[in-house]
Amino acid sequence: MNDQIRMQISAFVDGELPDAEADLLLRRMSQDAELRRKAAEYLEIGRAMRGEASVRGIERLQERIAAGINDEPLADAEVPAEESKGRSMRPLVGVAVAASVALIAIFGLQVTPGIDSTNGVADGTTVAESVEEPGYTVPQQANDPLEQMLRLHGASTAEQGANGMNARLVGLRLSEDPLPREESDETEAAEEAADESATLP
Amino acid sequence: MRGLRFSTLLWPVFIAAQLGCSAAAVAERVEPNDWLNRMGAAVQQTSYQGTVIRIQDGKAEALKVVHTVTDGVIREKVVAQEGNGLEIIRIGNEVHCILPDRKSVLVEEWDDQSTLFSTLPSSRVRFGSEYDVSIVREDRVAGRRTILLAIRPHDGYRYGHRIWLDTETAFPLQTQLIGEDGTAIEQVKFADISLNKEIHASALAPSISTENFRWLNQPSQHVKHEIETRWESTDLPPGFRAVATHGETMPGNEEVVTHILYSDGLANISVFVTQQKQATAAGPSRVGGSNSYSASIDGYRITAVGEVPAMTVEQIATTMSLR
Repeated sequence: MNDQIRMQISAFVDGELPDAEADLLLRRMSQDAELRRKAAEYLEIGRAMRGEASVRGIERLQERIAAGINDEPLADAEVPAEESKGRSMRPLVGVAVAASVALIAIFGLQVTPGIDSTNGVADGTTVAESVEEPGYTVPQQANDPLEQMLRLHGASTAEQGANGMNARLVGLRLSEDPLPREESDETEAAEEAADESATLP
Repeated sequence: MRGLRFSTLLWPVFIAAQLGCSAAAVAERVEPNDWLNRMGAAVQQTSYQGTVIRIQDGKAEALKVVHTVTDGVIREKVVAQEGNGLEIIRIGNEVHCILPDRKSVLVEEWDDQSTLFSTLPSSRVRFGSEYDVSIVREDRVAGRRTILLAIRPHDGYRYGHRIWLDTETAFPLQTQLIGEDGTAIEQVKFADISLNKEIHASALAPSISTENFRWLNQPSQHVKHEIETRWESTDLPPGFRAVATHGETMPGNEEVVTHILYSDGLANISVFVTQQKQATAAGPSRVGGSNSYSASIDGYRITAVGEVPAMTVEQIATTMSLR
């Protein structure tokens, strides 16, 4: 994603992007989960920075969403190459796109990890699939030595008064932390089994 | 006599006006280090609640933060406003990492006094002549009056810092880690904050129900003990010195790693020395504001990591040798 797109998204969420550019951006957003996530990010940041419950762009966005429901060009952007399904899918795809954008606008960052809103249309209709996004983490090799060293470094500097909380946050975000095994459950199960066998005649 | 009265009574005010500064700012210019001292205490003692925007690598994330200190016990909660809604809740040394998407709570033990801020000068170690500290101007952050403090390095071996301190409490409301080109590598900024107001216990409770979540004890991340080492850098950048040396074991690895922590009082660099068991790629890598460099020396793998420019970790990693 280049700076121009970022600026466009920023202007879009502020309601300051010219109509023609906004339409184009909406089309791109309908196909690009990364753009949707960035828009959600900017919405939330704008909201937080201004201490507002909503941001200026939302009203305009909502108008666009309403318009987008029957917006053929938007639907075209989502239609798969197979024309046999294309015609009947168009209106539904339009709804899907609108719902996707609406979720961004209303819930902001809460829907950022893969905005799979296309399956969540209120009437339960299944529509075109959105691009499946990974979770909040970027999978890396577990126990990557460099990552471990970064954590040890963070812990060491924490002892001097800084960095620990930040290092942990970064650590939890950077990788799929291998969760420890539930030894307690296994132990309890073993103990229960032992108790049961003890009571058997 | 009139002229004398003007020069003795009004001249300082006249100068201040010419400089565009308030009288308060002029007074504050006298001792910028006092602000750092006050900040060190404020970070440890101030209770606060607010929204933090953290910007790194062109990515921004919002965090809700609650932090209280009562009788020396830190209680805090950090909730990521994006992605999986990760929550970290700390009560004293016990830390719960709530991972909603994995329906798990990871219980860890921390024995440090760490804070959210990754790049603040430590209150315990003072830096020397490698940096200049100055007060730049008054400003406003999160609706509060602040003093902008600039810490400028004298060379390219370390980053600079800009810190906006709350005028009333000296609490850092915004920090920037400044790279060689003058741009911010990492930024932490409060969008809104309430300082030293009563914080209800419920604010520190989990934001979501953890019923039916798995509770998992995270084993100690590593074991370490102080050691002496013959490893040292033969060309350590000016101002850095070894402040700690430990033998440590990392999860899933029985081998004891030599960990040397270098510091100039502000920037920290860790050097890890491990036995080279197989050929691995040498060279630089970067995560956020941290750079690392790995090198192979005499059958050992040397890795230097720290919040410093790439050339600093490279110089240290490639000049390590046994005394």
